[in-house]
Amino acid sequence: MMTLQEFRTLFGNGLSKQNAGLVQLLGLCPLLAISTTVINALSLGLATMLVMMSASGAVSGVRHFVPHEIRIPVFVLIIAALVTVIDLLMNAYVHPLYLVLGIFIPLITTNCIVLARADAFASKNRPLHSVVDAFAMGLGLTMVLVVLGGMRELAGQGTLLSGIDLVFGAEAKSFVLHVVPDYQGFLLAILPPGAFIALGLLIAAHNWQKARAERRVHAAAPMPA
Amino acid sequence: MISLIKTAGRNALRTGVILFVFALVATALLALTFGRTQPTIERSQQAEKLALLSQVLPPALYDNDLLASQRAVPPDELLGTRQPSAMWIARRGDSITAVVLEAIAPDGYSGNIALLIGIDIDGNVTGVRVTAHRETPGLGDYIDRTKSPWIEQFVGKSRMEPEPKHWKVAKDGGRFDARAGATITPRAVVKAVGTALDYFARNRTALLTEKPAPNQETPR
Amino acid sequence: MPSPFILDRSSVTQVMAWVLAALLPGIAVYVWLFGPGILVTLTLATATALAAEAAMLKARGYPAKPFLTDLSAIVTAWLLALSLPSLAPWWLIVTGTLFAIVVAKHLYGGLGQNIFNPAMVGYAVLIVSFPVQMTQWAGPLELSATPLTLAQSAGVIFGGDVPKSTLDAVTMATPLDALRTGLLQQHTVDEIMTQPIFGHYGGTGFEWLAGAFLLGGLVLWALRIISWQVPLAFLAGIWLAAGFLHFFDAGRFGAPWFHLFAPSVMLGAFFIATDPVSGATTPRGKLIFGFGAGLLTIVIRTWGGYPDGVAFAILLMNLSVPLIDAWTQPRIYGGAGRRGKEPPA
Repeated sequence: MMTLQEFRTLFGNGLSKQNAGLVQLLGLCPLLAISTTVINALSLGLATMLVMMSASGAVSGVRHFVPHEIRIPVFVLIIAALVTVIDLLMNAYVHPLYLVLGIFIPLITTNCIVLARADAFASKNRPLHSVVDAFAMGLGLTMVLVVLGGMRELAGQGTLLSGIDLVFGAEAKSFVLHVVPDYQGFLLAILPPGAFIALGLLIAAHNWQKARAERRVHAAAPMPA
Repeated sequence: MISLIKTAGRNALRTGVILFVFALVATALLALTFGRTQPTIERSQQAEKLALLSQVLPPALYDNDLLASQRAVPPDELLGTRQPSAMWIARRGDSITAVVLEAIAPDGYSGNIALLIGIDIDGNVTGVRVTAHRETPGLGDYIDRTKSPWIEQFVGKSRMEPEPKHWKVAKDGGRFDARAGATITPRAVVKAVGTALDYFARNRTALLTEKPAPNQETPR
Repeated sequence: MPSPFILDRSSVTQVMAWVLAALLPGIAVYVWLFGPGILVTLTLATATALAAEAAMLKARGYPAKPFLTDLSAIVTAWLLALSLPSLAPWWLIVTGTLFAIVVAKHLYGGLGQNIFNPAMVGYAVLIVSFPVQMTQWAGPLELSATPLTLAQSAGVIFGGDVPKSTLDAVTMATPLDALRTGLLQQHTVDEIMTQPIFGHYGGTGFEWLAGAFLLGGLVLWALRIISWQVPLAFLAGIWLAAGFLHFFDAGRFGAPWFHLFAPSVMLGAFFIATDPVSGATTPRGKLIFGFGAGLLTIVIRTWGGYPDGVAFAILLMNLSVPLIDAWTQPRIYGGAGRRGKEPPA
């Protein structure tokens, strides 16, 4: 079983301290390419999270049977197989979304964060811990993706949740929030440079918040005279 | 020494077997998923293609299986194609009502613009869609139906209406409007739709007869 | 790499003042040939730049006074304003200036730390985001039926109720736009050049503007405020690249003179590429920097997705500065070649 303390540590790492998108800066290619809208970002984030959880669970489950020398090929094999399964499932059941995310679903295979968690954590820990770790890491990445997608969609086209009909069918079109009506559009935010600028701002905000928290700790514990 | 080699050999064998087992399991998993999802994927892909075709062809014009009607068209300068392109034939009952042609506008601002053009039996445009382009975002990409309804203005146009000297963008004295700032892109599309209509007019008989696709050079 | 500027504030102010003064002939010609609208643009950009600079200094905990009065923000504002279409809407001017000062200058660490030229970042952001507004230039007065007064220009800029027909009457394609459009319609360069927008060398009006910037640039060089390497190499890069293409197919590529006197080249060569902060620092590096920017300008003008390439060319070369500087750094310890032994510590 897992203690509350362990649980907390895993989540603290995944969401903030070791956040894949803001601190480790792993898997930036899909992060930057797909975060043009909230829906795209959320979809890819969830797909990545699903792959991470199943991959970490599988790796942890078989960790005693995998000789050290061939662990990387085996892990990559597991990850690639799982990604292909998800690719096929999305192609079959959410086809319009699959067309939008395109190459970035198969590319989850090469997302370093998936292999990094499999090798650095799951291959040394029990399945439950590994799945929770993957969940926390995936959630941290998804959150960054969603915030990034929200920033870019809002600045770029003045809406939120556009493209939701790709997931839930045409009826869902009414869920799209037109936050700024008759918006001119700020193309930069949607084009690739906007992704870099927005991610830079997010990282800066994260660092700023961390620095402030550290200062507060120092202030709370005054130096001995 | 011998035993060392033996151990190494046994190790290699063991590793190989393990790798093989993993590959086997992964392959089985993939095969299973593939088999399960394949029919759905095929259906989605056909639905997607059909949805695209139905954007340039009003549903009232056809009751046949459009996808099954696909055939190849040899490359032609009037279509802007260098490779064989596809064509679909719409039928209502026994008579042919319209065709859908693939065409390329080669002179976009940043290269080729791929088009899908529906033309009815009398040579009227039933719809045009841009299927691929690299025009400048925000400037020339309004030819894309998802960005603006600009491309709808071709519906109902033919080589008679407007007459060829007005088959141009408004800025050049024609009947098609174009947005300020970007005239190269719409010019390319307008020209390509016009020449595709020429192509249809010249090859009409060949295109509409059942079997052989027009193999001879287009008369110049 | 610390910029020499950081050390002595008063010399920064002096240099900046000279740069502004050297821009004045260009501005005067601009007003004379294109109407007084540019004055509104310059004022609005300056006000925005100063406000943004003050706000960012305060946010970063710097004293406002010595930095705010060093005129560097105004130089950025003017360079950006002179690159914009003369009747650009107010929000375009404000957005571009804010981006230049807030993001390109202060988020990168303020004066002396920015890797990209702030004015060109502002320009790039605008052309990428609002290509329609950025390509609508008011043509030279000579070709315009109804010249706008200062008040009318301000009206257009601030979105006043100027009839669209008036605006359509004064805006036209720039020479570079006209060239690109004509070429794509299968016309030859000679046919295109008969349009009234083309003058003797560059474009009608635009060539005089280029001449005025050239004059201002020469003054800066005479005063040793800028070195000769960057502008000369920049112009040489444009001349050689355009000349090479023109030599092989004069029907499809504009003449080198045309490219030199087309808008923005002189401004870019003498006032923007010479920015000591975002440019190369060694003499040989400056030659590479300028030549590369000139070459890229022609490449982007000929094959790129946007009609002019000066801004993108300079930004791309800004990006290469660390590499160029490392390459061309003079060997301090003499003797050993590039791959020579490490000098003893």
